[in-house]
Amino acid sequence: MGSGKTAKGMERVPRLLRELAEGLEEGLVPAGILNDPEIFELEKERIFSRSWIYLAHASEVPSPGDYVLRYILNNAFIVVRGEDGQVRAFLDMCRHRGMRVCRAEAGNASHFRCPFHGWTYRNDGTLVGVPAEREAFGEGFNKAEWGLVPIPKLAEFDGLIFGNLDPEAPSLEAWLGDARWYLELVTKRSPQGLEVLGPPQRFVVNTDWKLALETFISDSYHTLMTHRSMIELGIAPRDAKYAMYGEQIHIPGKGHGTMVVGGPPGAKLPPFWGYPEEMMERARTSYPTREQWEVARETRIFLITLFPNFSLHNPIRKPDHRYPTPVPMLTFRVWHPLGPGRIEIFSWGMVEKDAPEWFKEKARHSYLRFFGSSGTFEQDDTEIWSHVAQNAGSTLGRRLRFNYQMGQNVAPDPNWPGPGVAYPINFTDENLRNFYRRYLELMLG
Amino acid sequence: MDITREVLEFLYREAELLDEGRYREWLSLTTEDVLYQVPVRLTRERPPEGGYGGVSERMFHLDEDRTSLEMRVARLETGFAWAEDPPSRLRHFVTNVRVGEPKPTERGEEVEVRSNLLVFRSRWDRPEYTFLSAERRDLLRRENGTWKLARRVVILDQSTLPTHNLSFFL
Ligand code: FES
Ligand SMILES: [Fe+2]
Repeated sequence: MGSGKTAKGMERVPRLLRELAEGLEEGLVPAGILNDPEIFELEKERIFSRSWIYLAHASEVPSPGDYVLRYILNNAFIVVRGEDGQVRAFLDMCRHRGMRVCRAEAGNASHFRCPFHGWTYRNDGTLVGVPAEREAFGEGFNKAEWGLVPIPKLAEFDGLIFGNLDPEAPSLEAWLGDARWYLELVTKRSPQGLEVLGPPQRFVVNTDWKLALETFISDSYHTLMTHRSMIELGIAPRDAKYAMYGEQIHIPGKGHGTMVVGGPPGAKLPPFWGYPEEMMERARTSYPTREQWEVARETRIFLITLFPNFSLHNPIRKPDHRYPTPVPMLTFRVWHPLGPGRIEIFSWGMVEKDAPEWFKEKARHSYLRFFGSSGTFEQDDTEIWSHVAQNAGSTLGRRLRFNYQMGQNVAPDPNWPGPGVAYPINFTDENLRNFYRRYLELMLG
Repeated sequence: MDITREVLEFLYREAELLDEGRYREWLSLTTEDVLYQVPVRLTRERPPEGGYGGVSERMFHLDEDRTSLEMRVARLETGFAWAEDPPSRLRHFVTNVRVGEPKPTERGEEVEVRSNLLVFRSRWDRPEYTFLSAERRDLLRRENGTWKLARRVVILDQSTLPTHNLSFFL
């Protein structure tokens, strides 16, 4: 972005952030932050180089030597399980002269051998082989100093593996804070936890990462129009306001947000997302607290976004419009920023490890037909997000302020049993206002 | 008529229906038990047994049966399917058609067909466009004298899709 770093660009960033800071509590967000090269440069440094970023699920690397290749910004990391069972992540960059040592997106390897000059690393990162070591580098060469560079921080929560580029970063536990209670509604639904249904779908969307996550943190309001086709087909509930019900909860100071939606009043939906009886029975004793079980039992649609760019979506669904019973789906995704106004979506289908086989197969279908690259819901989301980003990057459009005022007059729900600040309706922008408070804190800090 | 000629006519007719968005008619070219799959491609090391590998057996972009294909078509007809409204301008180029030996089965005469596919996609008034390149592995079945698509596996040539959705058929 060398040419973008003009004096003009540099004064634009503080102005946009000031505008955001001044307008946020009134629900005004400058469109200009949504597709701007200078803002993106700063986000790379202040957000993505300091935050915990989702890399992989433990079930993607179940056995020693299993690895997947993942990214934080434009840094490629090999996420690999060593022979000792420990998961590590290394920059995929040879310590000699920078070639990539991993030649696949996923696989199993005891060693990574660099194709350039042949330096060879064990899957715990140790440099173990240097061709013609003595002749080339002499007796005193210390291989121990030339291992693969580990990611500055790596941590796992219930199988979710996150990395952080900042060696000074707070612990993942502290970063998640009270979001943990909500994550557990999914990760602790069964004592065995989750597994991936396969590798991620990867596809590119011309939009801003902040726009993509909106509908997974707060914007239930879009469902009635964006997803009208699915309402017409009777796949989404007939009550077009179905996504309005339930609670919207944010974790103050962290930026995370969640939506816990039950059934529309009067709708006869089975409890516990419509998961099979046996899974519901296991959940009853698997959840750490009774409150979690009681909330889960009444949940039909559930979303979480962890600041900055990990989301999950877990709605009651059917594998197709004819199927007689519900088969809920679960997707994890990373809104991976590629540049201003451009992201890559990594989208995974997930399921409980101990779910019955028939259910896993149907849950995969539910996921594929509704979310991900061909998902009949998500298709319309990505179409719309790309136009919003294009407008937000236009010379006149970027001066507009967007309306994030929904739900400003609603008081928090004092009776909600979970942590965080809960509002008793999902037609509110509260989670996004909270997201941007955290965003500002990091961007200004 | 010679079978290769029949298969070519089927593929060209099918491409025409897809290009013109005549999805109901396209559906009628598929069998009741049709299987339509677009597996996720992955960069993998060259397999020792040869070939290119890297075709996921577990995850797909599309994994459809007749009912779900019909759902997708019905969705496009609602007038609210924004991903294809306005519709993409699509052009399916089908080449390198390789027709196998037709075999009698209890379901009817079947023939395996492989072909190369290039799909051009343009949306709105932007000059940018998307290409998707793939191999199709089809199984055609003769039903009441006409060929129908009984199975299609589309092996994409990209691991990361350059497009924001697959709201159309390959
Ligand atoms: S760059 Fe890897 S061995 Fe030289
Ligand atoms: Fe949506």
